[in-house]
Amino acid sequence: MQVTRKRGLHAGGAARKRDQSAWRGLPFVLPYLPFLILFGILPAIYALSLAFTTSKGKFIGLKNFTTTANDYRFGPAFEHVFLYTSVWLIALIVFVVGLALMLHSRASKATSTFRFLYYIPGALAGAASVLVWLFMLDPAVSPARFLLEHVFGSTLFVQAIAPGHLPFIFAMIAFWTGAGGWIVVLYGALNTIPPDLEEAARIDGAGAWTIALRLKLPMIRKWIAYMGILSFATGTQLFVEPQLVNQASLGFVPDTWSANQLAYQLAFRYGKFNEAAAVSVDLLLIGLIAAVLIVTRTGLFRKED
Amino acid sequence: MQRRVWLPIVVAAVALAGCSSSKSKTPTTASSASVSASSTAGSSSPAPAPSSTAATSPAPVSGSGSAVPSSTASGNLTVWVDAVRLPDAKAYAAAHPNVKVDIVTFDGDGNGATGLQTKIQLWNKAGSGWPDVIFSEQVNDPVWMAQAPFEFAADMGSLISKDITSQWPATSLAQCTVGGKLVCLQDNLAPNVLWVNQKLMTQFGYTVPKTWQDWQALGQKVATEHPGYIIGNTGDSYGAWTYFWGNQCPLESNVSGTNVTINAADTHCTEMATLLDPLIKNGSAPPLGIFSPDFAKKYGGATDKVLLMPGPAWYAQDVFGGTLHIPAGEMTATTPLQWGTDSPITTGQIGGGPWIISKHSANTAAATDFVQWSTTVFNPDPTSKDARPGLPGYGPLQALWLAGLAKNPYFAADPTPALKAAAGLIWQGWQLVTYPDQPVWTNTVVTGLVAGKSLSSLMPAFGKALGQAAKAAGYTVATS
Repeated sequence: MQVTRKRGLHAGGAARKRDQSAWRGLPFVLPYLPFLILFGILPAIYALSLAFTTSKGKFIGLKNFTTTANDYRFGPAFEHVFLYTSVWLIALIVFVVGLALMLHSRASKATSTFRFLYYIPGALAGAASVLVWLFMLDPAVSPARFLLEHVFGSTLFVQAIAPGHLPFIFAMIAFWTGAGGWIVVLYGALNTIPPDLEEAARIDGAGAWTIALRLKLPMIRKWIAYMGILSFATGTQLFVEPQLVNQASLGFVPDTWSANQLAYQLAFRYGKFNEAAAVSVDLLLIGLIAAVLIVTRTGLFRKED
Repeated sequence: MQRRVWLPIVVAAVALAGCSSSKSKTPTTASSASVSASSTAGSSSPAPAPSSTAATSPAPVSGSGSAVPSSTASGNLTVWVDAVRLPDAKAYAAAHPNVKVDIVTFDGDGNGATGLQTKIQLWNKAGSGWPDVIFSEQVNDPVWMAQAPFEFAADMGSLISKDITSQWPATSLAQCTVGGKLVCLQDNLAPNVLWVNQKLMTQFGYTVPKTWQDWQALGQKVATEHPGYIIGNTGDSYGAWTYFWGNQCPLESNVSGTNVTINAADTHCTEMATLLDPLIKNGSAPPLGIFSPDFAKKYGGATDKVLLMPGPAWYAQDVFGGTLHIPAGEMTATTPLQWGTDSPITTGQIGGGPWIISKHSANTAAATDFVQWSTTVFNPDPTSKDARPGLPGYGPLQALWLAGLAKNPYFAADPTPALKAAAGLIWQGWQLVTYPDQPVWTNTVVTGLVAGKSLSSLMPAFGKALGQAAKAAGYTVATS
């Protein structure tokens, strides 16, 4: 997908040169290409064709979209997902960038230890981390019982996972598992900044703050944008966390809490594959729009920088 | 994980279905009991009483009137059971060396789960993979299994002789009949009774209530005299089945085809909500589920604070002794509570898991034999290690089971008269529907109760949410 985007957005240079470099790049992306087509592009086309047809294959325009948009679970599901995604994205960008900058400005032995510590939670698979969090959130067994009881006023598991808390809980889970990996990535990005630039800034009298905000931050802007695009996609496609909490709480959290869950339920509980496809196309569109916005606003694929 | 490309739901769903089956559902092949397994079952696995009973003396049951034909089944058979039914399936495998039984344990699809819908949709899409027999913890599962788009349940009426099926109560058979076809047989019956902690009642000097009003008055008294003790709970996913079914509240009534009546504003509903409200508020009927760890910690075992508990027949020793660790010699059951002077008494039902045979089965003979054996032969002794927790549906087996239960030292007094009587009191005005209504209770009512709202104030929202669930499942909803 990045390959196609790259080719599309590289409209600047001379045509022949571009063709040459594209062909030269091909062997590098070749191993990935079959998988992209098989598991990315073909299913997307299949979903698109399902979304505009009936189960018998008859074209019905936008009917699947209007039916699902009028479903009583559609609004709440998207509300939940957007609240969750905004909480999570803001936390992710602020803390990941902040922590990476802090790590980088204090280059010492401790840095690698911290980098490792940040990364550890990310080593847990998504589902496993949810299970860990189920224990964390149950005041009966949680090591953070004090916090749960005195800050959130929850003495019971069912209070801890009250509907109003959920977007924040899921954001917390996702942040905890995902942030470490991104801190490592951004730390790597910071390392690509030539040391002489930093030195020049220092000679000019810039302090640690100025260097971090005026020099380093603009230089890793593209990496942050990249994190934003991928995280937005993962965020709006939230599924595993609410699904597991639904089962663990014996239905306390509805099984159509997120938009992706709604699509799943429509497909596999009600057998409405076409309506499910419509919901997933909604999600695809939202992700694409967000990606285009971020790419154009941050100049992610612009070369001269 | 960040490398996730935009996968449309088709792939995501399939992948996640795969994930969830490896994470949470874990359908593991528990035993492929072939000929060799039957010899090991007796020695290595702790010689389950049922298998020996079954293998050596199927006589007590089959001898009691209805003819259970001796088994000639053979070939391959795949059965899906929950953990509770696992001993049953293992015993069948041990007793039938000619049948190569592949036992898959799964979560049982209880509490309004929709895992089985997902699985059957996938098998239907794939055109293969269906198990021959499924046990479900959810009593309404056969209703959707028998209809489009699932079309999974076979007509058992044509597979099992009427001499045998007629030994189930008519109400149970009616529940299993969809579109004129018998699509399931209930493993056990699950009428609600009033469970009583006789030891505590005597100790506190209380008399066991006969009516819901007396029960409420006692709750008020308990809250002031013995705070912390409970006379029921409202946090289970099946809370509506405990309190509203028995009180003839029309939340799933007049079901015919795709029509259903849902009227949460009916007096039968609101009067029960009003009755429960002070008890929820004073803590004598807390909005906690009986299977939640918090419940066992606050009211079970060492604390022993369950005074009374309206609940299904299968609570018995399995839940009170097993889950809550309430010591022996305390609990017993009494007949369901009466609403004022209303007669006859009616009660609700919770569960009563059914067996379903697949219409895609390539070995219907063995599938039928399995279901027949499980429901009419397997382990009538309710005190043995692999005891059936619930009141058997099949009459002759039920009689044996009750006779055994009457002698069970776990109970303070013989609970069997109450269980037997309750089985005939289930209100028939509440019918089963294709959609799971239990999660609706949990996520519209229990969440509100936990947040401190009154049940009465939540009833309109509950009715509305039930109506939405019904419509989403294709029902036409009437409200009166």
